[in-house]
Amino acid sequence: MVFTSSIPARTSVARRAGRSGTPRWVLIGTEVLVPIVLLALWWVASANSTNAFFPPLQVILERLVQLVQTPAFLVDVGSSVGNLLLSFVLASVIGVLLGAALGLVRPLAWFVEPTIHFFRAIPPVALVPIFVSLIGFGNETRIISITLAALFPVLISTMDGIRGTEPTLAMVSRVYRIGWFDRLVSVTLPAASPRILSGMQVSLITAFVVMIASEMLGSSTGLGAATLLAQQSFAIADMWVGILVLGVIGYATTAVFTLFRRRVLRWYLASQQQEKNA
Amino acid sequence: MRVPLLRTGAGAAGAVAALGAWQLAATAGPLADSPLPSAADSIGRLAGLFATPELWRALGDTVVMAVAGLLLATVVGVLLGVGIGTSPLAMHATRVPLEFLKPIPPIVILPVVVLVLGPTMAMGVFLVFFGCFVAIAVQSAAGVFDTDPVARATGRSYGMGRGEILTRIVLPSALPYIGTAIRVAAPTSLIVAVVAGLLGGGPGLGQSLLLAQISGDQAQLFAYVLALGILGLLVQGLSQWGERRLLHWHPQYRKEAR
Repeated sequence: MVFTSSIPARTSVARRAGRSGTPRWVLIGTEVLVPIVLLALWWVASANSTNAFFPPLQVILERLVQLVQTPAFLVDVGSSVGNLLLSFVLASVIGVLLGAALGLVRPLAWFVEPTIHFFRAIPPVALVPIFVSLIGFGNETRIISITLAALFPVLISTMDGIRGTEPTLAMVSRVYRIGWFDRLVSVTLPAASPRILSGMQVSLITAFVVMIASEMLGSSTGLGAATLLAQQSFAIADMWVGILVLGVIGYATTAVFTLFRRRVLRWYLASQQQEKNA
Repeated sequence: MRVPLLRTGAGAAGAVAALGAWQLAATAGPLADSPLPSAADSIGRLAGLFATPELWRALGDTVVMAVAGLLLATVVGVLLGVGIGTSPLAMHATRVPLEFLKPIPPIVILPVVVLVLGPTMAMGVFLVFFGCFVAIAVQSAAGVFDTDPVARATGRSYGMGRGEILTRIVLPSALPYIGTAIRVAAPTSLIVAVVAGLLGGGPGLGQSLLLAQISGDQAQLFAYVLALGILGLLVQGLSQWGERRLLHWHPQYRKEAR
């Protein structure tokens, strides 16, 4: 790799030399202004809207304020978010444990891997009708389908992450006579953690989708059910409130997880940054 | 050569064991009283379904929705991505809206899309498009952004125009990013096409799934889920193969082929 080193160096120098003639404050200004302008546009464009499907934003927001004060709405939001978080945590724990087992014991992985890949190829939402038909419309159906759907990304990324760890790490820990459990907890899993956390990120989005799907499919509680019911009964403002709140929940959970990931992987991100600048 | 053989054998044994466990659980085991159909019933039903025109029509509808939405998302996403990647102003202007849209799956806007477009193919295509274009745009922008400035400057020294630099240097260098984005988006497009049928009432396999669930025909339901799994595997395999085949010339892939 020595012979290519001069070209990337020149490239990175050119890259750092700045690329645009636009002043920085203009760029940051647009970044702040555009979302505000977009929201303002929505407000103004929909203000006198007579289209039944796109009511004025003002009406939607007023409805949101009204709904937030009703206990039924809060119960819906609570049940949705609760299911999402519980299932995501369950899926992460089970996924990491199973993935670690499969990553460490090769023959076991050979035995189950094709089956796992087949399960993963099934669209996660298609698992919901199966559990509905087997267990009924209860809350446990929702939790099981979300957990199972969110399990596979974590499981597979943990397995790959553990297999992809630097062989030197295993050798060094053997030289220091570190026991297998300590080695797993303090060497192998941390080394695989960037992959594991990427898998968890995918799991989180899958869990969110399946959460909504499991509520829309014949359940009566939860925000997804409330939104679909509002749509079917032509309570258009209520439907928009549901969509907005779901969107915010989706955005917020991902944002929180990104912060968590950045915190856990500080060492990894820093080392990558260093490599890039080198 | 021995290890791959052993591996395939173990995998096949595992699949057979899983089917056996399913069969046992459904007929003799703890789930015998539950409505779980046996593995033999479900597979038999699936084989029967392959002979019916309904399955093929539903399959065709689902695939058409997924592919049309994915194509639309690719065109719009790449155009948007190239714009974002070449102009810092465009990048800063679109960053917040795109970052907001990225984690929001299409199922969130499904109720309003169904309301506006009705339970049609167009609804499914739009949902697939919405579910895929942001990721493709972000990835293409990253690819364009990552073009070697030295290569770009070389092009300028040779007197290439802006358009020529874009098509001859920037786009080829961004292609692996775009290829990866499309490969990742392909299974998503299938999932969204199924969601459109299952929850939006659109045509395709999702609707067949819903009808099987409502009519309480368990074996049929499981047969359709198995069919979806096979379709999912096919889509994954095809998109991986296509990516490697189309981009084999790129340095990033040449290394893999060796």
